[in-house]
Amino acid sequence: MRKASVVRAVRDAVAKRDDGDVAEALLAEVSRFVSTIDGRTADRDGRFSPHVLDGARSLGLFALTIPAEHGGLGLALPTACAVIDTLATVDRSFAIAIGLHAGLGTRGIVDLGSPSLRDRWLPRMASGECVGAFAATEAGAGSDLTAMRTVLREGPGGFVLDGEKSFVTNGGFAGLFTVLTSSPSFGGQRGHTLVCVPADSPGVEIGREEDKLGIRASSTVTVRFDGVRVPADHVLGQPGRGIEHAHGVLAWGRTLMASGCVGTARAALAVTLAYVQSRRQFGRPIGSFAASREHIAGMASRVLAMDAFVRHVAEQPPSELGALSPFAKVYCSEEAFAVCDQAVQLHGALGFLEPTGVARMLRDCRITRIFEGANDVLLVRLGAARVAAGGTSALDADGNDATEAYRAAVKRLDGALAWVRAHYGVRVVRRQTILQHLARAEMYLRAARAVSRVAATRQDAELAAFTTDDLVARAGTHIGAVTSAEAREERVARLTDALYGHDVPTHNEGLLSVSP
Amino acid sequence: MNTSEPSTRGRVVAAIAAIVEIEPSRVSGEQRLREDLGMDSLGSLELLSTISEELKIDLEMEDAMGIVTVDDACAFVEGHRAEGERRASGA
Repeated sequence: MRKASVVRAVRDAVAKRDDGDVAEALLAEVSRFVSTIDGRTADRDGRFSPHVLDGARSLGLFALTIPAEHGGLGLALPTACAVIDTLATVDRSFAIAIGLHAGLGTRGIVDLGSPSLRDRWLPRMASGECVGAFAATEAGAGSDLTAMRTVLREGPGGFVLDGEKSFVTNGGFAGLFTVLTSSPSFGGQRGHTLVCVPADSPGVEIGREEDKLGIRASSTVTVRFDGVRVPADHVLGQPGRGIEHAHGVLAWGRTLMASGCVGTARAALAVTLAYVQSRRQFGRPIGSFAASREHIAGMASRVLAMDAFVRHVAEQPPSELGALSPFAKVYCSEEAFAVCDQAVQLHGALGFLEPTGVARMLRDCRITRIFEGANDVLLVRLGAARVAAGGTSALDADGNDATEAYRAAVKRLDGALAWVRAHYGVRVVRRQTILQHLARAEMYLRAARAVSRVAATRQDAELAAFTTDDLVARAGTHIGAVTSAEAREERVARLTDALYGHDVPTHNEGLLSVSP
Repeated sequence: MNTSEPSTRGRVVAAIAAIVEIEPSRVSGEQRLREDLGMDSLGSLELLSTISEELKIDLEMEDAMGIVTVDDACAFVEGHRAEGERRASGA
């Protein structure tokens, strides 16, 4: 099918609200398209080839999640995730560029933009003429948004923006930035506001491309705003509620990013499965050895769980997506890195060389544990949210497809939460590692539940059972660590004081109050 | 309305100011912790933890969720202190 007719078919299917047809028509063409991408060359050159960007435009990849009335395909999040997953099997840099555009780069405009802003920009963003970027991080303000120095103040005809943003993905070729600003004049001293800033606005200066460990073909730049005029209709949502609005945008971005992790891990598993069956040592394929089989089973198990978890999260309504997407982000970013690491290991010295491809996959995965919310910070917040909410009813231990082991683990987590609330009360927020253990336990249990939900529909029931058993066991390890975590925290504090050469107060505050 | 003792109020305001990193003089009673000061429910939990440690009082987890404004936080802490003093005096 020609690309133009694919786009038409997808639009027709979207109009009929037939997601099955959408996925089938689009994913088949996306698979053909990615087979033409040379990810290794893009990685080496540090940029995408024009052919890739042109192909993406004609295929409608910039239109994925933009509503049909603005020229987009209007795809639901699960289908968009499936597209990003497919792209990431070949070129993670490209998957991140498209995923960033579909998520952080355009979601704020779709959900919160004024009618005039949507009418003006979304058709150009759907066609790929204008690429979206999201600018939140600053050199001195990563997870700590209190340190944000990019300030929005009132000005002629709207607002004026001054400051500098770092690590802006897609920034080198973006046409429109969604910028998180500090706005003391709106929403109080700690007010933040999301605004859209066209890249060609006077006062916008794009820095040089960063030299990165991974996703080297993607664009990452610093963007400086020097007295940039921002029209009043370029504010997204309500002035002063930027953090809250950013949460909604990040929920999409994190889910799309997690789906890219699935694709990369899936590719690492596929190439490794082929390799261990062809590579012979001691007269037999290395895949026949028990030690190798352990790695392979672990990789397949992780890919299955990541896939099930992302599908489950992507199907959630907006009210649930914000709470669940950080779990998917943390889980998939860690597991994808583990899978790629196992892939390198099983390839031996060959895995360390670039032509095999697994070295690039490992490098490309590393950033996902850092950006869109550093995993350490997200886990603290997730743990605190669970302690504050109390109970484990959200984990659906009573569902028909929940295993006995799962139910028992949820009961243990319930007990651990009750113990923490009784033992520490509100002071538990000072115990970051306890919160992280609780969050990890919940994360592994949620992943296990997602696997058991899809297990009945899969042919590889044995792999699903193996996966849920493994996830429940991992959850149990973290539940068991809760009661001893305080003693370990204090031991580690003494140890690190000795390493630092002087006593340093252990700070736990700050992570909870404002970080998205 | 300010119903708390100046010293307690001052300490609560200082704790809020420290968490949200602004001058205590810029914190006013009617400000909402979430909308005006950028704290969410977890930030409120963090605030109560700070107060709990500083004033050496035990605060329940659920209490954090009902606090909306700076005045709410001050009144809540003052109420807890008064309750503690009543118990200590056997009243």
